[in-house]
Amino acid sequence: MSEQKPDQALRRSPLYRRHLQLNARFEELGDALVVSAYGDTGMEPRLGVSLAVADLCCLPRTGFKGPGAPDWAADQGVELPSAPNTALAQADGSLVAKLSHQELLICSDMQGHSGLIDRLNHQAPAPGVYSLPRADSHSWLAVTGLLAAEMFSKICGVDLRTHKFAQGQVAQTSIAKINGVIVRHDLGATPCFHIFSDIASTEFLWDCLLDAMEEHLGVAIGVAAIRSLAATE
Amino acid sequence: MKLLTCPLNGQRNISEFTYGGEYHPMPNPNSTSPRKWAEYVFFHDNEAGVVIEWWCHTASSFWFLAERNTVTDTVIRTFEASEIFKRRIDFVEPTSGDIT
Amino acid sequence: MQRLPLPYGLLIDREQTIGFSFENKSYQGFAGDTIASALAANNQWLLSRSFKYHRPRGALTMAGQDANTMVQLPSNPNALADKEPLSADLRVMGQNYSGSLKTDRGALLGLFSRFLPVGFYYKAFFKPRGIWEKWAPLIRKKAGLGIIDQQLEPDYYDKQYKFYDVVVVGAGPSGMQAALTAAVDGCEVLLVDENPVLGGSLNYSRLDAKGSMAREVRDLLVHDIEANSNITCMTNATVNAWFADNWLPIICQKRLYKVRAKQTILCTGALEQQAVFHNNDLPGVMMSSAAQRLIHLYGVRPGKTAVIVTGNDDGYANALDLTDAGVQVAAIVDLRDKPKSSPLVRAAKRRGIEIKTGYAVYAAQKRRNHLAGVVIRKILSQGVCDTQSKKIRCDLLCMAIGYTPTYQLACQAGGQLSYDDKSAMFTLNNLPDGLQIAGSVDSYWDLGNCLEEGARAATIATNGLGFTQAVIPEPIAKEKHSPNHSWPIFAHPKGKEFVDYDEDLTIADIVNATRDGYEHIQLVKRYSTCGMGPSQGRHSALAAARLVAAATNRTVAETGVTTARPPFAPEHLGHSAGRSFYPARRSNMHYRHIEAGAQMLQAGAWYRPAFYGEATDRENRINNEVNNVRNNVGLVDVSTLGGLEVRGPDAGEFLNRFYTFGFIKQPVGRARYALLTNEAGVVIDDGVACRFSHQHYYVTATTGGVDRVYQTMLKWNAQWRLDVDIANVTSAYCGVNIAGPRARQVLAKICSDIDLRAEAFPYMGVREGTVADIPARLIRVGFVGELGYEIHVPQQYGEALWDALMEAGREETIKPFGIEAQRILRLEKGHIIIGQDTDAMSNPMEVQMGWAVSHKKPFFVGGRTIAELEMKMPIRSLVGFVVNDENAPIPLESHLVLDGDQMTGRVTSCNYSPTLGKPIGLAYVQPHCAEPGSQISIKSSGAVMVEANVVTLPFYDSKTLRQEL
Repeated sequence: MSEQKPDQALRRSPLYRRHLQLNARFEELGDALVVSAYGDTGMEPRLGVSLAVADLCCLPRTGFKGPGAPDWAADQGVELPSAPNTALAQADGSLVAKLSHQELLICSDMQGHSGLIDRLNHQAPAPGVYSLPRADSHSWLAVTGLLAAEMFSKICGVDLRTHKFAQGQVAQTSIAKINGVIVRHDLGATPCFHIFSDIASTEFLWDCLLDAMEEHLGVAIGVAAIRSLAATE
Repeated sequence: MKLLTCPLNGQRNISEFTYGGEYHPMPNPNSTSPRKWAEYVFFHDNEAGVVIEWWCHTASSFWFLAERNTVTDTVIRTFEASEIFKRRIDFVEPTSGDIT
Repeated sequence: MQRLPLPYGLLIDREQTIGFSFENKSYQGFAGDTIASALAANNQWLLSRSFKYHRPRGALTMAGQDANTMVQLPSNPNALADKEPLSADLRVMGQNYSGSLKTDRGALLGLFSRFLPVGFYYKAFFKPRGIWEKWAPLIRKKAGLGIIDQQLEPDYYDKQYKFYDVVVVGAGPSGMQAALTAAVDGCEVLLVDENPVLGGSLNYSRLDAKGSMAREVRDLLVHDIEANSNITCMTNATVNAWFADNWLPIICQKRLYKVRAKQTILCTGALEQQAVFHNNDLPGVMMSSAAQRLIHLYGVRPGKTAVIVTGNDDGYANALDLTDAGVQVAAIVDLRDKPKSSPLVRAAKRRGIEIKTGYAVYAAQKRRNHLAGVVIRKILSQGVCDTQSKKIRCDLLCMAIGYTPTYQLACQAGGQLSYDDKSAMFTLNNLPDGLQIAGSVDSYWDLGNCLEEGARAATIATNGLGFTQAVIPEPIAKEKHSPNHSWPIFAHPKGKEFVDYDEDLTIADIVNATRDGYEHIQLVKRYSTCGMGPSQGRHSALAAARLVAAATNRTVAETGVTTARPPFAPEHLGHSAGRSFYPARRSNMHYRHIEAGAQMLQAGAWYRPAFYGEATDRENRINNEVNNVRNNVGLVDVSTLGGLEVRGPDAGEFLNRFYTFGFIKQPVGRARYALLTNEAGVVIDDGVACRFSHQHYYVTATTGGVDRVYQTMLKWNAQWRLDVDIANVTSAYCGVNIAGPRARQVLAKICSDIDLRAEAFPYMGVREGTVADIPARLIRVGFVGELGYEIHVPQQYGEALWDALMEAGREETIKPFGIEAQRILRLEKGHIIIGQDTDAMSNPMEVQMGWAVSHKKPFFVGGRTIAELEMKMPIRSLVGFVVNDENAPIPLESHLVLDGDQMTGRVTSCNYSPTLGKPIGLAYVQPHCAEPGSQISIKSSGAVMVEANVVTLPFYDSKTLRQEL
């Protein structure tokens, strides 16, 4: 692992100082650095099966809304979720969430492949389609593990237990008193809840999550563990 | 805590919502009398019975309307604003009369 | 420590002895004991002193339902000794006494009780004015409840949401049956009980002569519940309120569960009531159920010789339990003239127990702070006894005269309490949908009926949820024999027949309250304080209602009870204060400010730098920051500023309707001031609208206002339905304002793709390009009145942008400035801050913003109201003023502007201006004082009158040339 400093990159996760405090090891991803792992790379996926949180703020994501957005996205090869507040995995591993009849949130796979997102972002705007800077406006944290819903019940009033909040369901709600979007998109067999929330509140939310997780021995894990979980059926 | 059903997001705790006041049709701002306009802006019916109210689901910024019985504090139904506001509203010059 | 043999003592673990102290004397108990049960096992019955008369008190319910057992724990006053589990080395003290618990000097107060009539405080301290302040500390000391540990290290309290299909409150027979019936396939059930184990009354009461039925039924039900994975049990947990739509706060240990139930079934049972007679509060006088709890739950013999006063067959069951436990029952005193024969009555007779029917316990006698005997008399008519007395020696008196349903949660849910004269019982009706009651709370007493009703309530619930579609049977007919006696109240010439133990209120106190004119039960409560103590009327509501009814010639039903409000039981502040969230928003440059020594302040959730440097050097630091902007170049973080994208064919039309100005003809590449009013014409926000393309405006809004502005925009367009998209991108952009005469010089070093020359990029121009290779939006604005560029970049590049500008400006000695300096800079320019210089009444004309209101538009929000206001005489005007007197104290915000002794306005902003060298400010004044040159008088700190001169705005750079450089 090379000695890379996250504050040398142009784009920086709002959490990079927290990661440095946790002795994180970083790896390059586009024009940013993401946490590869904090501790034992072999151990982290196992922690993720129980309860963990990962910072995905530097992974690609985008959004589109407007009356023309769904049709336009479909024309670009996006497979649309059937109803608002549901999400659908795409063939290339990216995830598309429908937040209303006119609004889409698109995020990359756990490798940070940005093919679809770049393609959509670089399309000439069509009438009634408006881009949203989701990578800048919203943080992206992933909470994984069998105890995730139990932890969430301390900070969020929506019932996220896995038998009540199915794979592909989306909840726009309040988490620790800030607004956010929660998307259930499991990593292989491990339940995973992706939180997209106000980026200026990222540190606040991160601290709240770690505090609420403490009771269940939840910890922060890096993208290496996330990828490993995603690859496990 | 009460529950409220958002037409977009479903049933949620009322703490997830912002109250937007009673719904009143706006009189034509360019032709109505000062009295009628003042009543529209400043008077609230505060009716004992079924009223229509604006509510916004804060996390998704989605506005909708609710029929609520203010005596029993029961929400009879909630519905999208497009049920009342079916088409674009335009205002015309002060002298020429009504909203089209 | 003496205990009854097994199987007595369901809750205690005889293997685990626990040492503790009470009043500095050591005792031993068992794990599973409460403080009170362990003390009782050691023959220590006196637990506390009463609130007003300092009378000796002991266990009454053994269920934590009364204030008699309040004790002081090291860090917890008012702990209920009959609820609080025993823990190792616990130091327990009595409370509310002077001297010792055994000989309390305060008990002398009882002798003066006739001088402490009902409503005493109202009467005694009403006049003269101020007398209460004098007496209050003394009285509070006498009437204090425990001591707060001010050194306490608070424990960690948590909160958690829970979701269930059905929540059953109370795990007695009805509750357990309801939970089992409701737990049909897939239906998630929570069964809550405040006791340590399931079973409710089955754990301690006797249902049959043989005495085995309760335990057998309990074991069967508990077995089935434990085997059912759909049922979650929560014991030692209190459902402390019912809120709308079955929202139940449940307190369990150090956690507050916020439970949403789709259906709630209340099987909360009933609370046994006391008989009201002289000295009915002595230790040794207790509910029959309390004696049975001591025997069955803790294996403690409640006395040596007992008398039972009863009005129902439970008293006979109680007698059987007592004799089984080795207590000699001296007599059963039955208030009923001719009790119907039943297996329990026959069994008691067979044991040779003396039964006095038609008799009352008229008085209790005291020796050494404990019951020594009772006086019984023949009942002649309601509440009236013969003069002939008979004394019976005893150290235990059990009261079994009836019950009150535990109605609190049901009443909070909107249930109405009525009184049934025939059964002499409160009954509940009018319950909301989604809420059922079953068991003794619904006046069923027979076990079979309770089980059936529990099942019936559960079926209504599961039908309601769609889990079942069963036919609901009719409710079972109410039983013929009520356990309640209609008048177990016997006045005594010497009084002390306590109706409310918490507040030391007697029959005379309640009756006198009605004589003083307080006839309504709610007024009786407030005047007498009946029901206002810690047990919240659990044992006084019924007797008080009966007394008030009789005293006012009404029925008990007409009299009613007082409102039952949450919480059901006292709760620790920690439960409310536990895990709370205080959102904090940080700009991407946050830590650069910290590293530069900024003093941060929080504006809403946002952290912002107030100024840079030591707090002790505040004024100096701020002034230096101001000077550096005026003379050189400064950098301020404006990331918190609201940002809204308004895009689409109708973007211009939308802004035209929303803001006061005209926007349709605004050229691309230009910014325009945007003033927002509400429908009442009141100024509520401002910003600039930057037109980046024909269909794209980027609109700024105030830090505190943007969320509301965004919501309001969406609300209007839900009505107008214009072809426009509105997006709140506040957090998506980080921004700085680089301002000062050398701003361009610095910026030019790292911005090569925008022509920065004044003629190419003029004041109020907007451009897109890159700064230090970061994609950026540049706006030439003049909030601080110097050549300046607001640079907005995607959020995650914020820190890199800050670093690049600080580096580029090194030669020019660029310095960061905070919002304090910014406030002075803008004040020198006479720019208002919405919310500081405006209030809930400010219209544009009053704040000299008439120029920002277009009159050429068919409509804008607030337009019609503004048009009406323009036709009226103005009431006030916001003006600039300077203070020329060097010695005058600087006026502060909200200081009044006076005209003689008339208040005519107020200061909204005022600061020493380092640029002008004197205090400057903004104030609302009467229109005739608005002309430059007018004099105004401001009442400043210390009531010093400060003369100020109204001047033309801006204070500085009157031709506004500097910002247009």
